[in-house]
Amino acid sequence: MIVASRKPFTEIKGFVDGCKKVLIVGCGTCVAVCLAGGEKEAAILASQLYMASRLSGHATQFDKATVERQCDREFLVDLGRNVDVAGYDAIISMACGAGVQLLAEVYDSKVVVPALNTVFIGVAEGLGVWTERCRSCGNCVLGETAGICPVTMCAKGLLNGPCGGTRHGKCEVNPDVDCAWAKIYERLAARGRLEDITRIIPGRKDARGMHPATAVHPAYRRIQ
Amino acid sequence: MKRSFKEALVSGEFLLTVEVTPPKGTDTSAIISTMQNLKDVADAFGVADNPRSVMCMSPWAVCRLILDGGGEPILHVSCRDRNRIALQSDLLGAASLGIKNILCVSGDHVSFGDHIDALPVHDLDSVQLLGAVHELTHGRDMAGHALSGRPEFCMGAVANPESDPLPPQFLKFQKKLRVGVDFIQTHPVFNLDNLAPFVNEAREKGVKLLAGVRFLVPDEVSKYREGRYPGLFVPDALLAEIEGAGSEKGVEIAARLIRAMREKGLCDGVHISAPGHEEKIPDIIKAAGI
Repeated sequence: MIVASRKPFTEIKGFVDGCKKVLIVGCGTCVAVCLAGGEKEAAILASQLYMASRLSGHATQFDKATVERQCDREFLVDLGRNVDVAGYDAIISMACGAGVQLLAEVYDSKVVVPALNTVFIGVAEGLGVWTERCRSCGNCVLGETAGICPVTMCAKGLLNGPCGGTRHGKCEVNPDVDCAWAKIYERLAARGRLEDITRIIPGRKDARGMHPATAVHPAYRRIQ
Repeated sequence: MKRSFKEALVSGEFLLTVEVTPPKGTDTSAIISTMQNLKDVADAFGVADNPRSVMCMSPWAVCRLILDGGGEPILHVSCRDRNRIALQSDLLGAASLGIKNILCVSGDHVSFGDHIDALPVHDLDSVQLLGAVHELTHGRDMAGHALSGRPEFCMGAVANPESDPLPPQFLKFQKKLRVGVDFIQTHPVFNLDNLAPFVNEAREKGVKLLAGVRFLVPDEVSKYREGRYPGLFVPDALLAEIEGAGSEKGVEIAARLIRAMREKGLCDGVHISAPGHEEKIPDIIKAAGI
């Protein structure tokens, strides 16, 4: 899932200083799971902004609403049916960067600002802990690397083996993090499949070099 | 005229290269002084490419200054700061400046340096860079387009025999040998037994191996211990030996390691690095009897 974290409060507050009526829109999917931008977090932010506004002698109105997914147009159109969006000076989106942009596109006459920083695609490790696992390079090598992504899990994204900084199986950048290539080697050795990583992987196309990207399901190509 | 590094590699003699770090600024006097002091004994000067991610002068410019002063440079080419277009472009530029020797490296991570918010590039890794250099020397770029005039390079790559675990490092080292190099330069080595598999493999492929030798500075013991120098793993026994000692201890240890490597035939030469303390290198060379 997409993992995000909330921006500093002063930055969010600064976006809406001077507004009289602000709508805070939470997102009920990825950022709700990672406790950054779901219904509960939207309510907390609304309360904080309300208190800050009153303490500084203002009377800004902060309302909140949460949609299932801000990255899906139909949910945003639904938002307009339930809430008088036109009546707000600004909208604070608590979605990932994709959701913020779609919200700004659907309500393009409104000031739409982000409350979160989108940080990575990752997995839940335990309560309140997520780790990055995918950099969406568009050219997956996991079939050769024992299901461990060197593009993401190696600090340098090296495709042909480790750098010279591995110590006690840990990354030179962070001794609390495993060296991706040490783990890849270990797992393949245990499976008897070390030949999987003897191939020299040539310089390759990385989807991150060509953006914004578009993906169309084959069944829908004609419609597009 | 002094022989080229490529000629030195095939001479069968024990080789000596010295690392120089480009200045942070435009004052090149220290590097020129180091080069002038050592050019008669060193087979080449390895010019680091923004080592430890500390921003400094472009290494190809320093290489040219070394050439002007009568020294033989080895240009370090790091994948950290340039994409494949810039890497190839700089290599063509280096060739046009008369630079014949290159060392392809991944590059220390930006988090060790003085621009920690910089975006590391790593469009290519060091193995892929070696492949790109081969393409250039065959008259085409890595996308297959023909070059007008092709460079000639004596190509080197690095390996760290002190990596732990060693097998994945060895696998990458073998890939570098497969792509094709003229020499291997190792990270600083302290446990000499670790050199044997690397030098044996290199010799089997007709490739010379220069063992890395680092001048250890007593004042930097805590940095060594904390892992502040990427790829530099100093054993506890040596840390204890230099802690609180004078700089002559660092000279003694480096010379001792060189003598032992040479006596045991564990390398074809050494690459000495003493960042910030290059004035000690002549003492090391003398004490080691090179």
